[in-house]
Amino acid sequence: MRDPNPTPSYRPRRGTSIPRRFAALVAIGAISLAGCTAAAAPTPTASATPVAAEFPATLVDDEGTSVTIPAEPQRIVSLSPANTETVFALGAGSRMVGGTDADDYPAEAAALPDVASYLGVVMEQLVSLEPDLVLALGNGGETPADVVRIRAFGIPVLVLYAEDVSEVLADIELIGAAVGEADVAATMTDAMQARIDAISAAAGAAGSRPRTFYELGAEPEIYGPADSSFAADMVALAGGEPITTGSTTAYSISLERLVTADPEVIVLGDAAYGATAEVVAARAGWAVMTAVKTGAIRPVDDVIVTRPGPRLADGLAALALAIHPELVLP
Amino acid sequence: MPNGYDLSGVSLAYGKRTVLDGLDLHVGAGECVAVLGPNGAGKSTLLRVLTGHAPERRGAVHLDGIPLEEYSRETLARRVAVVPGEASLPFAARVEEVVALGRIPHEDPFRGMRAADHAAVAAAIERVGIADLVGRDARRLSQGERQLVVLAMALAQSPRMLILDEPTVHLDLRHQVDVMELLVALNARDGVGVVAVLHDLSLAAHFFSRLILLDHGRVVADGTPDEVLSPERIRAVYGVDPALVRR
Amino acid sequence: MNAGAAARPTPAVRLGRLEALRHRPILVACGGLVALAVVIVAGVALGNVPVPVGETIGILAGRLLGWPVTATWPASAETIVFDLRLPRVLTAVVVGAGLAVAGTTLQGLLRNPLADPYVLGTASGAALGAAIAVLIPVRLALLGFGLLHLLAFVGALLAVAVVWRLSRTTSLSSLTALLLTGYAVGSLLAAGLSVAMYASGAQLRQIVFYLLGGFSGASWPQLAVATPLVVVGSLLILARARSLNALLIGEEAAANLGIAVRRERAILLALAALVTAAAVAVSGLIGFVGLIVPHLVRLLVGPNARVVLPLAAIVGAVFLAIADLLARIPGELPVGVVTAIVGAPFFLVILRRARGGYEV
Repeated sequence: MRDPNPTPSYRPRRGTSIPRRFAALVAIGAISLAGCTAAAAPTPTASATPVAAEFPATLVDDEGTSVTIPAEPQRIVSLSPANTETVFALGAGSRMVGGTDADDYPAEAAALPDVASYLGVVMEQLVSLEPDLVLALGNGGETPADVVRIRAFGIPVLVLYAEDVSEVLADIELIGAAVGEADVAATMTDAMQARIDAISAAAGAAGSRPRTFYELGAEPEIYGPADSSFAADMVALAGGEPITTGSTTAYSISLERLVTADPEVIVLGDAAYGATAEVVAARAGWAVMTAVKTGAIRPVDDVIVTRPGPRLADGLAALALAIHPELVLP
Repeated sequence: MPNGYDLSGVSLAYGKRTVLDGLDLHVGAGECVAVLGPNGAGKSTLLRVLTGHAPERRGAVHLDGIPLEEYSRETLARRVAVVPGEASLPFAARVEEVVALGRIPHEDPFRGMRAADHAAVAAAIERVGIADLVGRDARRLSQGERQLVVLAMALAQSPRMLILDEPTVHLDLRHQVDVMELLVALNARDGVGVVAVLHDLSLAAHFFSRLILLDHGRVVADGTPDEVLSPERIRAVYGVDPALVRR
Repeated sequence: MNAGAAARPTPAVRLGRLEALRHRPILVACGGLVALAVVIVAGVALGNVPVPVGETIGILAGRLLGWPVTATWPASAETIVFDLRLPRVLTAVVVGAGLAVAGTTLQGLLRNPLADPYVLGTASGAALGAAIAVLIPVRLALLGFGLLHLLAFVGALLAVAVVWRLSRTTSLSSLTALLLTGYAVGSLLAAGLSVAMYASGAQLRQIVFYLLGGFSGASWPQLAVATPLVVVGSLLILARARSLNALLIGEEAAANLGIAVRRERAILLALAALVTAAAVAVSGLIGFVGLIVPHLVRLLVGPNARVVLPLAAIVGAVFLAIADLLARIPGELPVGVVTAIVGAPFFLVILRRARGGYEV
């Protein structure tokens, strides 16, 4: 059975208790909200949980770096579509000044100036926007050198990376604390957690756990979830038995291995790129798989399933329905 | 005053193969000699000994009375110039630039060529008679012209002695004669010593007054062409009918 | 005495106006320096974000010359001009000069017009070093340098050392041994690189970015370390220009001209490797500069290394600074792509105009 909480050796596990305790304090002390927007002194506070005002705040990002945010950010730049979605969902979208060229949700996000693309961050444009908070994507999303550079310019950067569903919720709360919407974040994550639990329970009660292959691509090699990856986690929560590549770093799986694993359900994460049930069934050597024989090949919107953002519960629902079409979800 | 090369008891072996065998030789500084011999006689190796590129040799070699090992590379290069048999250039270079390479042993390592160096280059070009080739790419010249260019380069070293290894091998008769005439003139008029390995016996006999015949790493004859290229000697060393050698 | 009775034509003007320049390396040097100044100014004034020229001048005057200027521009403009663009342009200048000098040296040393700074394994060694640095989960940030720069530098030098050592053990002629060993070791390291890339998973992008080369990470601390290495290395090579010249006609002929060929080869190789390693450590693998610029300069001023080396440095600096500008403006293309697009046709044109190609 897969370890639901994999901890890479080099990355310290940061606790989820800080934002939660913080949110509780804010909920109790409504008056402290008024002090949020006051310009704070640039000296960082010593403790990680300021009591009197939300800012300046010292938060620990997913790489274990302590980041100090001196005042409530008014010029937020996001370097990944997931972070952009989260900021908008928290109601801070009006305070965003820059995003990436892959931002597509909500519609307003696409209109943001792009400072980053797959090729990397365009430093000049980022600097010219004069951001006071940058939300970056870890684990190869942004190069570490770029992050160091932005921090060297005195701009607080939070590096976020979620390896599984619980970490996604923690990241949403972290962003909430960073942008001064911790209470909204807490509410959102509570609702998400509840929905995820409900979906997972319903899927678990479906009576079967079919071997599920979440296809990420099929040309030139077959791409699927790596061991202990985010997609594998989602499949497990959605009531499937995930078929993985066999290694934690490789995303490609050989046809032999796939055939031996014999998926009972194939979920097409690459449906947006033209993969359909007919195309899959026509592939050489695939006809022997149970999923192809029974026609259990179902498309899904890969974005909501794998993007570690506020729509994750929707994604889990879609995935659960793809695996168990007869399911009735709350 | 001892002058020129003095070799005594020079031997050189590659593994089991003896190339030079107890060779004794004296070549005066202003002399003009041709070194002859069949293939494998050790002619080229002898040249390498003279230019200091045979560290594995045994025996004594003196130049102007001083052991050859005591000469620094640069000093030796200022004294003795080797005319390369083949020169391949990886990049385009003009004739005068190739000739100017001969000044390298004299150049100031930092400031490069000075007026005296330029004058020496011009003089060498003039002396060899290739003034009309100036400005042309040395790689585009004919074999004969290229040979003259490298000869000019060696001359630009202002040497007291020129060493040549089969300089006429790729040349047609006309150019062979030109090169020979030039060498003789350089020796007679300018006092530059010449040691040339030649394969053409007739040519050597015609232009050189002293021939050194090598065989199996030894000097078997040393003297005038008549003395050295006697019919018996030719038959003994080369194994061919002496009538084949026209003189 | 004439070597031949046939009348000779007057020396033909083969390369048109370029011929006249051959006698005036000073002219080329001045032209190059002017171009360099223009390119540096352009590189600082132009970029993704428009900064008015007046502000640019003001920022530079304030930060560089210490003039007391009142800042009428936003702090971001100052960051962009002084912390992003200026070190970037200067790094391109230094790297361009270094690669051109190293290329000239290796072409002369190996007597091969197709040699470039990477031919003896420096590129593969640096790439493998960088890949290993990406894979090791250790964060090292020292004066703006990461583990990547350090391992790339070390990898480049180690590769050349290995090639040198191995080439001495073969019985082939020295130049052939060097080239073939360089190829073999380079291939081996490239294989190691492939393995590292395969195992890198999500970090693959970082490695690829390094391989493509670029100046987006240029910073003052990196420049401060790379510049002395490149400058000192190049000057030391220039001091040995005589040996490079002697090698023009061959190794044995060079020895007869009084050059200690084996020693000079080792020293020049080490210096060229040092300059190359410093360049690739800060900029990744940028091709074509070290290959083309020496040829271009030789076409203008002939093969005399004493003249070619400094001019190649200037022309290489201008070339790479322009390439970086072209790469930067449309939005962060890898510089290596620009140098290839600009350099490859250029090279073909040079080959054609030289009429006859290059034979060794």
